[in-house]
Amino acid sequence: MAETGLDRLFGALADPTRRAIVARLSQADAGVIELSGHFPMSQPAISKHLRVLELAGLVTRERDGRRRLCHLTPAALQPVSEWVWPYRRFWAESFSRLDEHLARLDPGAQP
Amino acid sequence: VSLPGFPDGLEIETPPGEPVIRFRRAVRAAPAVVFAAWTEPDQLRRWWGPAEWTLVVCEVDLRVGGGYRFVHQDRDGARYGTRGTYLRIEPGALLVNTFTFDGTPGRESTDTVEFRPAGGGTLVCGTSEHESIAARDAHVGGGMERGMRDTYRRLDALLAADTEGKS
Repeated sequence: MAETGLDRLFGALADPTRRAIVARLSQADAGVIELSGHFPMSQPAISKHLRVLELAGLVTRERDGRRRLCHLTPAALQPVSEWVWPYRRFWAESFSRLDEHLARLDPGAQP
Repeated sequence: VSLPGFPDGLEIETPPGEPVIRFRRAVRAAPAVVFAAWTEPDQLRRWWGPAEWTLVVCEVDLRVGGGYRFVHQDRDGARYGTRGTYLRIEPGALLVNTFTFDGTPGRESTDTVEFRPAGGGTLVCGTSEHESIAARDAHVGGGMERGMRDTYRRLDALLAADTEGKS
């Protein structure tokens, strides 16, 4: 099940135009017309890419007056970053133990 | 595209196209204190490694050309050994050493840890330089979980596509 989601996510990000759209939306929400102004392709082509991003859970579209604004959902990218999980776990847990160790060394210095 | 942050305050970066991994984490203690915790065996035993691991061997010969040897043991009794040689030591500021995992002998990385004073505490900045991107990925991913291999492959393809796009 999770595999399907990951496939979709990687599939969505495998295309350079879609990555560029993601990068653009990470700065601000934008409408389709606005987005197509940034890329050398037609509005329907951009809409198609947006649909793929939407299916992967990366983009949601919300109505804002007459426009439909595209909004990036960065949390959907989390599984991509999880391949570094064993490394992350090692350091995250070590640092949290280091915090506790240092707090015991000098309790006065801790907030 | 920046990946979403994790609540633990740890930043990890694997730049595409560079056989490097970086981490950053703020610690609420002065650089000299953090450096000591990082290099004194009695302190290392208390924190170095994940919560359920025990540091059963911890030898540190802290001088340039001197070596270290660490062996962790997990709850199931499996042991993970690492060793290396110190290349540069600036007490309270910098530590550079080689790093080899017993499970991948002959594969060496160079690890640099900087202890930067920041807001009354320390910003710990680590960099591991590997021989290749594949070696880096094997290291950070643990290099063993079967289910992860497809992910690596797809990620490699993804990163390769990015590199091609730029050149």
